[in-house]
Amino acid sequence: MVVSTSLFTRWVKLSPSILVTLLIVPVVAGILGVLLPAFGWLPALGEETFGLRGFEALWLTPGFVKMLVLSFSTSLISTFFAVVLSILILGNYFNSSLLGHIQKLLGPILVIPHAAAAIAIGFLIAPSGLIMRLFSPWLSGAAMPPDTLLPNDPYGLSIILGLTLKELPFILLMTIAAMQQKEIKHLIEGQYKVALSFGYYPFTGFCKAVLPLLYPFMRLPVYAILAYSSASIEIPLILGPNTPSTLAVAIMQWFNDVDLSLRIKASAGAIVQLLVTLCVLFTWWLLEQFVKKMSFSKLTNGRRKYADLILIVLTHCLTLIVLFAIALALLGLVLWSFAGYWSFPSAYPDQLVTLHWQSAFKQLPEAISDTVLVALAATGIALFLALFALEAEQQRQKALSSGASLMIYLPLLVPSIAFLFGIVWVKELIGVNAVFSMVVLGHLLFVMPYVFLSLATSYRKLDLRYAKVAASLGCSPWKIFYAVKLPQLVPPILFSAALGLAISFSQYLPTLLLSGGRMNTLTTEAVAIASGASRRISAVYVIMQLLLPAVGFILAWLIPKLLFRPRQ
Amino acid sequence: MDTTNNMLSIQNLHIYKGDALLLELDTTVLAGEILTIMGPSGSGKSTLLSWLSGMLEPVFSAAGKLELDGHDITQTPSHHRQIALLFQDPLLFNHLSVSGNIEFGMQHSKSSTRKRRVSEALDSVGLSGMETRAPKSLSGGQQARVALLRVLLNEPKVILLDEPFSKLDSELRQATRELVFEQIRQRGLTAIMVTHDQSDADAAAGKVINLSNTAGDKPC
Amino acid sequence: MLGAIGALLLYRPLINAQEIEQGASAQGASAQGASAQRAWQQTLNEARGENVYFYAWGGDPQVNRYLQWLADQVDNKYGVNLEHVKLAQTSDAVSRVLAEVSAGNMSEGQVDLLWINGLNFATMAENNLLEAKWVSLLPNFALTNPQQNPAMTMDFGVPTNGMEAPWGRAALTFYYDSAYHNGASSSPPSSLQELLHWSMQNPGRFTYSKPPDFLGLSFLKYALIILNQQQDPEIFAKLYKPPIAESERELLASLWVFLDQLHPYLWRQGRYFVSDGASIRRLVGDSELQLGFTFSASDIPGAVERFGLPPSIRSFAMKDGSLSNVHFVTIPVNAKHKAAAKVVANFLMSVEAQAKKQQPSEWGDRTVLDLSLLAPDQQLMFRSPNQHPSALPGSAKSPSLSEPHPQWNAVLTEAWKKRYGAKRW
Repeated sequence: MVVSTSLFTRWVKLSPSILVTLLIVPVVAGILGVLLPAFGWLPALGEETFGLRGFEALWLTPGFVKMLVLSFSTSLISTFFAVVLSILILGNYFNSSLLGHIQKLLGPILVIPHAAAAIAIGFLIAPSGLIMRLFSPWLSGAAMPPDTLLPNDPYGLSIILGLTLKELPFILLMTIAAMQQKEIKHLIEGQYKVALSFGYYPFTGFCKAVLPLLYPFMRLPVYAILAYSSASIEIPLILGPNTPSTLAVAIMQWFNDVDLSLRIKASAGAIVQLLVTLCVLFTWWLLEQFVKKMSFSKLTNGRRKYADLILIVLTHCLTLIVLFAIALALLGLVLWSFAGYWSFPSAYPDQLVTLHWQSAFKQLPEAISDTVLVALAATGIALFLALFALEAEQQRQKALSSGASLMIYLPLLVPSIAFLFGIVWVKELIGVNAVFSMVVLGHLLFVMPYVFLSLATSYRKLDLRYAKVAASLGCSPWKIFYAVKLPQLVPPILFSAALGLAISFSQYLPTLLLSGGRMNTLTTEAVAIASGASRRISAVYVIMQLLLPAVGFILAWLIPKLLFRPRQ
Repeated sequence: MDTTNNMLSIQNLHIYKGDALLLELDTTVLAGEILTIMGPSGSGKSTLLSWLSGMLEPVFSAAGKLELDGHDITQTPSHHRQIALLFQDPLLFNHLSVSGNIEFGMQHSKSSTRKRRVSEALDSVGLSGMETRAPKSLSGGQQARVALLRVLLNEPKVILLDEPFSKLDSELRQATRELVFEQIRQRGLTAIMVTHDQSDADAAAGKVINLSNTAGDKPC
Repeated sequence: MLGAIGALLLYRPLINAQEIEQGASAQGASAQGASAQRAWQQTLNEARGENVYFYAWGGDPQVNRYLQWLADQVDNKYGVNLEHVKLAQTSDAVSRVLAEVSAGNMSEGQVDLLWINGLNFATMAENNLLEAKWVSLLPNFALTNPQQNPAMTMDFGVPTNGMEAPWGRAALTFYYDSAYHNGASSSPPSSLQELLHWSMQNPGRFTYSKPPDFLGLSFLKYALIILNQQQDPEIFAKLYKPPIAESERELLASLWVFLDQLHPYLWRQGRYFVSDGASIRRLVGDSELQLGFTFSASDIPGAVERFGLPPSIRSFAMKDGSLSNVHFVTIPVNAKHKAAAKVVANFLMSVEAQAKKQQPSEWGDRTVLDLSLLAPDQQLMFRSPNQHPSALPGSAKSPSLSEPHPQWNAVLTEAWKKRYGAKRW
């Protein structure tokens, strides 16, 4: 029990509260900032009577119900596919080295910003996209791009495709990470072997013996994805229909509309979006209960084989398709960035030029420097707070309450469109003008959960006996912290830092709104360029968006190797 | 029960770790017999069991033949071999009850039949009435007995025991050991047990092979 | 030398500026000239060392490069630091100014200068979000000859009231891929009716962007004007007045008939419309479309140079008319750096900046200056040396069609959405 009250311990004690406050206050303030206008109170426009006219206007919007259905269904269906695919991959490659390879291949995909992914996939599936070019004209018979409806189809199929491809690596990698925790790993490997030795076919054995243990670890990522995809903007904006679009996209367009009276409707829409997200989460929970009930009796019926052989083949095919699609999308990006004119149906540009890279490089340095500075600041603060909060946990010898844990994930679960506009309004009210600090704070909201989560697993695994020995030798808590604990944590800290940087690099809406457009990061530039007509320069920016986080991770992997050369 | 079908024959087995030879073995185990494998840690006892069950880790390579009642099962996938595993950890499924765990091992049959057989089995090891208990609520010894029942009701041809009694205290150990061996003999199963406890080997009263010497049978 | 000419010109237009400005009393011309000069000098002094945040659409790399050049120039000449804040759409900045003003921020606004016209301008003006009556104080404004060119003080028919400084001109220009052959119709349409026939023979190769996108609305307005030219002149004139229920009925009917015929032959059979004009150009570059249109004819050669369009692209203007307008810059009422913003706005209208802007290799946006007011060597600066094969031929003759009253935009958008937009359920 730590009894001393040095500066360090006092700081540490306060850290969890500081952390939670920094996260909750903006989100709550933001929601209030849309809650009031949603019910009619917006003095700037002379609207000072509370009422439901915002909601009425919403209801009367043509296609409103379709918007709700689109948001709801694309999010549920894409998450469902991602989860099913993850289970297929995990189950069929459980003990094989393939899982390790897939983990390495898909890891980098995690940090691709959504806008970049949407643009890349759009390049792929368009009638004049890479897939058609590869198969034309010899297979498809098309000398001109056909007039088909992908992407931007009215059923949201392209959205589902984009979301699934983006979410699959996340669920898969989070689950694999959970599976590799020592205690769990030993247990599930043993149980899997037992099941196999009882005659259960590998995939059925996995589903009956391992999955029930594993699914709780998949839950948080799945809910986070459901919440995000029900209100996501970048992918539906680029790949989705526009008569009507999804609810979140429509809300953003109303907020930005020149007709300022649409603000009230937009705020009402933000509230409805919150409800839609809750609905999606609830529906998934219902689905979980349903599956549990239906399958429980089957777990012990002794059947060792379902469609295992078909499923293995299916999994091989699907995995190949996913990896192939991702590789093609990246290849397409690189080709576009060097492309001269690229006539259809060539699978290769008519000529390769470096012009686009040269033009981009004239504009890039400033954007990149801003991007990196904000990311370093936000990640630095996040690391600082996370480490201290975790240290507080150990000093109190009591884990952070589940309430506090939930608060840390709050910015991830509440649709950002619902509270970011509110934050801007509050910011104007208070009169804060410091662009850099506001943007860093905004990024902090989204970086914190990831940094905390990845640090927590490592911090909690620390062997506390070292600390106890040090204490018994007379070291102060501060000394224990920085001389005993931190050195053990260098690789995880670097990894969490790289993760935090990557998250910050990919932020779009927070940067745009909180800086008033004053700050240009790589992502805001990329979206602005994507709204222009130069697909080639877009490709250059997307590639830069991919390279920047990659550099962070490479450094995180390299630095420990250089600093701590293995002793002979 | 036609017990001659459960004869296990290990022919000319060589297991390598990288380029180094880890162990050599050539032996036969008859039905109802318990082969004890002993040796210091690192001698490859568990690796042998992995090979036998078809789950050899990629870092090892093996040459040799495995036959079960006359069929060559060297290349058969694990789930077709009918060789069951019992580890030192009971590894009971926490999402299933005690009876659920035992039913899990059983073959596909009518639900009522299964439940009856489970109750009978629990009675026979002194755990009556515990069908609906959660595995976590049982003591170590009780869990070990449930794990045993799970394996036995699976009706495999061969049972591999990986230091199955090492986590039990000495009194429980003896009782459980007697129970396990009695069941194996009664059902005519072939068993291979890995242990570093000499009293286990004595109680098994079968062939003992010590892996610290290279190859060959060693009569007990 | 430019300074001498500038000083001479300063004298003449200041009289004109006075006449345009309402409520100014007539005094001795030279006395006014001197005091205006002093006032302008004061503005220049205030502006030195200030930052100007110029909020302008950032989607065109050529425009962005031109703005970089501008920034260098105003830094060298006036010591003003110009920052280009790239917008995906102008309404983003309008929202920003509104948010600031509604929160009581009347002097520390983040937007100093804004590139704007049309409905965005009308909205800001109505809501008193713009600095008033400053344009006539700018020395270079006189070069646009506002008295002879009413387009310089009218934005879509709405008077600018000294709140907007003209920057460039645009006219609706079409372009097609001359390498595209399809039997009989390898020549592009040159009128609205021909467009319909062409689409029928080449289904899925043309589309327009959906309202409220400015370019799409422009196509609709072009069609609206052409289709109603046969009407009674009194009815036709109602296009240039605010719309009322009666005029809507009279004028829109023929548009819907036309569109109902056209849509089945559009790209995606008219079931999906792109959101902006940039997408149209991208689709032409992908060969999904064979016919496109744009408001800045200079876009096209630039796009060919940057490989966004095939070298076989040719621009042309419809023989039956091209919709034209002027685009402006404005200063919000709560801008922080008004003096510097005015200096920049003035430089935008300078001979040097306008000539460079008109060069196709730079931007190609047409000048707002009245060339007849300039000296011959200055006029030469506006001629472009080598005509790009894909550029609009200088000889292209197409009647200029003026923009209808801005409120027609909203009416068209609403009505179009009702007919062709998202359905109720």
